Amino acid sequence: MKVLLWKELTDLKRDKKTLFTSILLPLLMLPLMGFIGFALAQEQVINVAVVDLDNATVHNSLLNITFSSRWLLGNITYYLAKYGYNYTVSHTTSIIKNPKIDLMVVIPKGFAENATSLTRVAKIEIYRKAGLQTTSRVEGLIFSIVNWFSDQLSKEKIMALARLAGVNATVEALRNPIIYTTTLVSISGTPVNTAFQIRITISRFLVLALSFVVTPAASYVIDGIIGERERKTMELLLSHPVKPSTIINAKVIAATILGLITAVADAFGLLIYISLSALTYGSQAPFLIDPWLLLVHSITAFFTILVTVAISLPFITRTKGIRSASNIMSIVTMMAVVFFFTALFVDYMRLPTYILALLYIIPYVHSILAIQTYVIGYPFQAFLHILFLAITSTVILYLTTKTLNTEKLLMSK
Amino acid sequence: MEGSAVVVEKLHKIYDNKVHAVRGISFRVDKGEIFGLIGPNGAGKSTTLRMIVGLIKPTKGRIRVMGIDVVKNPVEVKKYIGYLPEEADVYERLTGLEHLRFYAMLRGLQGYELDRAVEYGVKLSGLEMQSLERRASEYSKGMKRRLLLASVLMTRPKLAILDEPTSGLDVYASVNVRRMIKEYVRETGASIILSSHNMLEVEYLCNRVAFIARGRIIVEAEPKRIKEMYGAENLEDAFVKAVKEAEER
Ligand SMILES: Nc1ncnc2c1ncn2[C@@H]1O[C@H](COP(=O)(O)OP(=O)(O)OP(=O)(O)O)[C@@H](O)[C@H]1O
Ligand SMILES: [Mg+2]
Repeated sequence: MKVLLWKELTDLKRDKKTLFTSILLPLLMLPLMGFIGFALAQEQVINVAVVDLDNATVHNSLLNITFSSRWLLGNITYYLAKYGYNYTVSHTTSIIKNPKIDLMVVIPKGFAENATSLTRVAKIEIYRKAGLQTTSRVEGLIFSIVNWFSDQLSKEKIMALARLAGVNATVEALRNPIIYTTTLVSISGTPVNTAFQIRITISRFLVLALSFVVTPAASYVIDGIIGERERKTMELLLSHPVKPSTIINAKVIAATILGLITAVADAFGLLIYISLSALTYGSQAPFLIDPWLLLVHSITAFFTILVTVAISLPFITRTKGIRSASNIMSIVTMMAVVFFFTALFVDYMRLPTYILALLYIIPYVHSILAIQTYVIGYPFQAFLHILFLAITSTVILYLTTKTLNTEKLLMSK
Repeated sequence: MEGSAVVVEKLHKIYDNKVHAVRGISFRVDKGEIFGLIGPNGAGKSTTLRMIVGLIKPTKGRIRVMGIDVVKNPVEVKKYIGYLPEEADVYERLTGLEHLRFYAMLRGLQGYELDRAVEYGVKLSGLEMQSLERRASEYSKGMKRRLLLASVLMTRPKLAILDEPTSGLDVYASVNVRRMIKEYVRETGASIILSSHNMLEVEYLCNRVAFIARGRIIVEAEPKRIKEMYGAENLEDAFVKAVKEAEER
């Protein structure tokens, strides 16, 4: 066994292509994708037109409030420039006909008048070219500026009215008399912090990341077994005093080691990506990375790969070519990927018992549950799910290698 | 019998309930003997050899190697057998030397014994150290064949089964391999079963040969005796006559 494993690992070590695709790719792919996306987003040119049809300053002497459309215009152009958008100040709304203009902000006539009145509402008009993703970001920016002004004006109006009425009032009590609060708590009711929430988000992606590790490991086993037959090394190998099951097991272990390396690379890729995006967007970086979660992820990945290989092994050892074996494999891995994807938005432990009981047959559900239960604070349940994976794969592997003989390995249909 | 290295009795192999590849073959090979199997393509030579090695199961019949039942103890019996398949290739990413070490270790050798076997393998292969330290994917066909043959013989198995050991080799390489085989038997007193299409080779190497056609042995004797039996100049003529006779029957 040790000798066979040595051969497999030496072979793997020198197989630069496989190593590259299974370590560097997952490690670099996510951060690279994030980086490229970010860089490209920076490079986008968005042209905004701002039209002030009002161009007036109005003073409401009753409330003693002044508002000028130019203040709004000034703020909008200031922030557009700050966030790197191109803008043009125009005097006519027909500028929207220009195909180069992506978004137009119109301050209509009578805006300042309405804004300072006690009975009317002032309105900003935004014209956005459909089908452009980025214009919604500009819209968001305009929206927050407008909101801020609206807020200020309403505050001033409320205070002015209170002054006129001679009563004591606060802005909040008048404008927003009912509010609500939410406190995030753990499964046992204690409040949790943001780090905990981030952990849960990461765990969802970790489950998804599992789908990237099953495929390389599985194709490695296919290549190891059928490739050995096709490259004509199998017969000589089998003529040595080793059990065929030992040969298969060595290959399975080598594949699982490869898969494990992939899983770790994958997790790190995810972390790099999250850290990078946290840094670039300036939100709470750097935060704590939970090594235990990574450990649980790695163990789960190990057994997920093992169970995938175990399921496909009976087919692999009984098919002739690499292609037909790969087809069977991709059915199995597709199933895995579908389930891992659903874990992004399904909380598996909240499914009704009868559905869950059915799903328990599928090993990948246990992979999902192992991570999901661990992250919300049920380490023992996570352990049970991993145990299930371990037992299932061992039993299948045992049965497969038990029914295996050299003749089948040597020549299959 | 006590002195027999291999005893094959009424061996049959039917592939997939269809192809009756071997139809009742019996022979025995003594210790220190080189036994040759000759036959047209598809005669059942490789099938017979694979059954002796225990790689495929006979449909019927019995095989004993060194007194051990091959079907019942497939792993045990492999300890005594070195087998060179008809089509065998190298691991692309291992060096020649690593091949020798790997196959020696697969036979459970360690430490001094391992070093000695590898050393012997290096000598048998006739390859330069420089080549042996290169990856085997860079070898020529002949170098690969010599490397693999050396790996089969280096652990001095009591029975070597060689399926067309010189196929694909040039004249010089073939001569070398033949010399290697003969020397090996003289040094170790081991038995060899080989299959071949080269009559010269068989005549030079084998104490006894069996002609196989369509899964049956049609003649079995010393090369000299066979030539006499068919009144032929050489083994090739005898072979052609024997096969023709068998077809007519
Ligand atoms: N895996 C297999 N499945 C079905 N039939 C097979 C298989 N292997 C060999 N055969 C058939 O068994 C017969 C004997 O084949 P075998 O390889 O033993 O011949 P051989 O004497 O070694 O021929 P050659 O000189 O070409 O090597 C042939 O008819 C071949 O088609
Ligand atoms: Mg053959």
